[in-house]
Amino acid sequence: MTAPHPLISLLVFPCGIFLLFISCIYEWIDRKLIARFQNRTGPQWYQPFADILKLLSKEEIIPRAVNKALFITLPIFAFACVMTAALYVPMFGFDASTGMPGDLIITMYLLSAMTFCLGMAGSNSVNRFAVVGATRTLTQLFAYEAPFMLALLMPAIAAQSWNISIIAKYAETHTWLIVTQPIGFVIALIGLIGKLELPPFDAPEAESEIVSGVLSEYSGRGLGLFRLSKNIELVVGLALISAFYFGGIGNPLTFIAKTFVLLLILAFIQSTLTRLRIDQTVGFWWQIGALLSLVQLLIVILVRVL
Amino acid sequence: MSNDDIINNITAPQKYIVPIGPQHPALKEPGHFEFTVEGEIVVDASIRLGYVHRGVEKAAENRNYTKVMYLVERVCGICSHSHGTAFIQNVEKLAKIELPPRAKAVRAIAGEIERLHSHLLWLGVAAHEGGFDAMFMYSWRDREIVMEILENFFGNRVNYSVNIPGGVKEDITQEFIDGVTPHLDYLEKRMHYYLEVINRDITFRSRTVNIGKIGSEETDRLGATGPTARASGIARDIRIDRPYDGYDIFSATIVLDHRGDLNARFVVRIKECLESIKYIRHVMNNMPEGELSVKMPRKIPAGEAMSSVEAPRGELFYYVRSNGSEIADRVKIRTASLCNWGTVVSSVAKGHKLADMPMILAGIDPCFSCNDRMVQIKGSSKDPQIWTWEQLRKYGINYYK
Repeated sequence: MTAPHPLISLLVFPCGIFLLFISCIYEWIDRKLIARFQNRTGPQWYQPFADILKLLSKEEIIPRAVNKALFITLPIFAFACVMTAALYVPMFGFDASTGMPGDLIITMYLLSAMTFCLGMAGSNSVNRFAVVGATRTLTQLFAYEAPFMLALLMPAIAAQSWNISIIAKYAETHTWLIVTQPIGFVIALIGLIGKLELPPFDAPEAESEIVSGVLSEYSGRGLGLFRLSKNIELVVGLALISAFYFGGIGNPLTFIAKTFVLLLILAFIQSTLTRLRIDQTVGFWWQIGALLSLVQLLIVILVRVL
Repeated sequence: MSNDDIINNITAPQKYIVPIGPQHPALKEPGHFEFTVEGEIVVDASIRLGYVHRGVEKAAENRNYTKVMYLVERVCGICSHSHGTAFIQNVEKLAKIELPPRAKAVRAIAGEIERLHSHLLWLGVAAHEGGFDAMFMYSWRDREIVMEILENFFGNRVNYSVNIPGGVKEDITQEFIDGVTPHLDYLEKRMHYYLEVINRDITFRSRTVNIGKIGSEETDRLGATGPTARASGIARDIRIDRPYDGYDIFSATIVLDHRGDLNARFVVRIKECLESIKYIRHVMNNMPEGELSVKMPRKIPAGEAMSSVEAPRGELFYYVRSNGSEIADRVKIRTASLCNWGTVVSSVAKGHKLADMPMILAGIDPCFSCNDRMVQIKGSSKDPQIWTWEQLRKYGINYYK
């Protein structure tokens, strides 16, 4: 379906206020699924809203030794990055709000910029745990970006374009890319888990080792904005993967069904595996992930050429 | 500073100290660990304990033996029965009374249920330290079953006081046995499941196999006890070496593993749970007849007595001195966790990554509340610094002037 008027789509739907709400619903689905896997009841549907609202209304404590300007603006900048990235991705059955040749690169850049903001926020907070967490976040960023980008690249090669809307239309009209590029799908999914720092790749925010990683010193508004940014990153990532590999935009109901299936797979992986150490995460992925994605790339190129 | 010093300061590698504790999500109780890291590798470790010192030994000197009994059971929540048993064994030795066999059997059963409870709790906590929240939730759900047994039988989920001076309070009736047996069967199935998870799950094994490996000579030299020592192949178990209440009638089996790494400690504790379940069943089905307690005099004859008990964490040692009155003269406690700290700090921590530290710390099953005692070291060079209450008070007032 065509996108609504740009101003509406920026502020209200499907990015903007609607995205804020729906990202909290997605967080709730994730938490509820994990809880049920762990034989717990899990939170009620309004829990993430309550968390974010509470955080936004609490006092923000700024440590004395940090760079104040950076400390306050980094959460805002991260939030702006993901909201902008959401503009280029077709969500909820509607076309992307804007598009231009090459916006796949811009979206990936903006998502990585958000992780960079996290890393900078961690090194800016002089707290030891935050610095160790920042090191781990940036290490994981290096390890997971390359295969994830390659996995998003392969549908681009198949569709012969860098424009997300064109790739999505290609995915709609041809057989689902999960069938024709299964390895790419696996890489994209695991890359997404690494990018979002969900278990088992949540070494950057390992609670039992480094308190809260990069966000250790954040409280109040900053923490609320970072958490909101992470939720929106989840929605954008899921939308990208389902647009590319699960056959395009479709209508709102199929979009919700597809992202729900992806979230189910994510929750399953999250609750059944132990947290890996940062060197295991990076070592495992650099070797296997890069190899698999190169294999997939070769296959796609060969199919194109032959 | 000379030019060489300045250059050395600039080019010397930065020593980065990551403090874990006293307040930290990894620790359930306060304790301070300082790990000097270079990147992710730990190069040095040091411990500071003493945050939970409550003065139990001093408080015991003002109370009569029944009140001390109440006091020492609260030294630790999950080895409370072991503390109580060790203390009261000393008092019974001093009073030269012999327990009836039924009382001994009840004490043995309570000790084994406590071991089951403690190991299940530890399983959940150690899994949580490694990031495996699903096992944490599952094992604590099963622990609830044990807590229900404890509550139905002894009246309290934690700090169940089974012992009284001279015997036990509660009896094991046939209806208790009928109620507990299906629970024990269910728990046995669950323990087999956890054993399988530990031996098979790939991500879990990558976090525990060959991590924190310590050989049997090193463990012996450091004096570790309990499952930590048994996981390195040292066959030390008080229930078998020096059998006490109930264990001289029904003997226990020892569980050994020779690998010495984290995975071995998990395996040893789960197998001990299985052994406990078998032991409880065996004793319940063969309960000796007899009284539950014997009358014990209020005034205990003068003398000293020592006894050891196999707490879930290792050897728990008590020394009691009596001066012939109702009030205890000196009670000395040495808990198992104190012996096991050496295995973490001395050789194991160095060379491992920071991410392994919480699991290695949890691997010895530390119980900080048990640990804190006051030791006065008389150095040969300095005078021992002992302050009276008046001196301490004056120092505090002057400090804040």
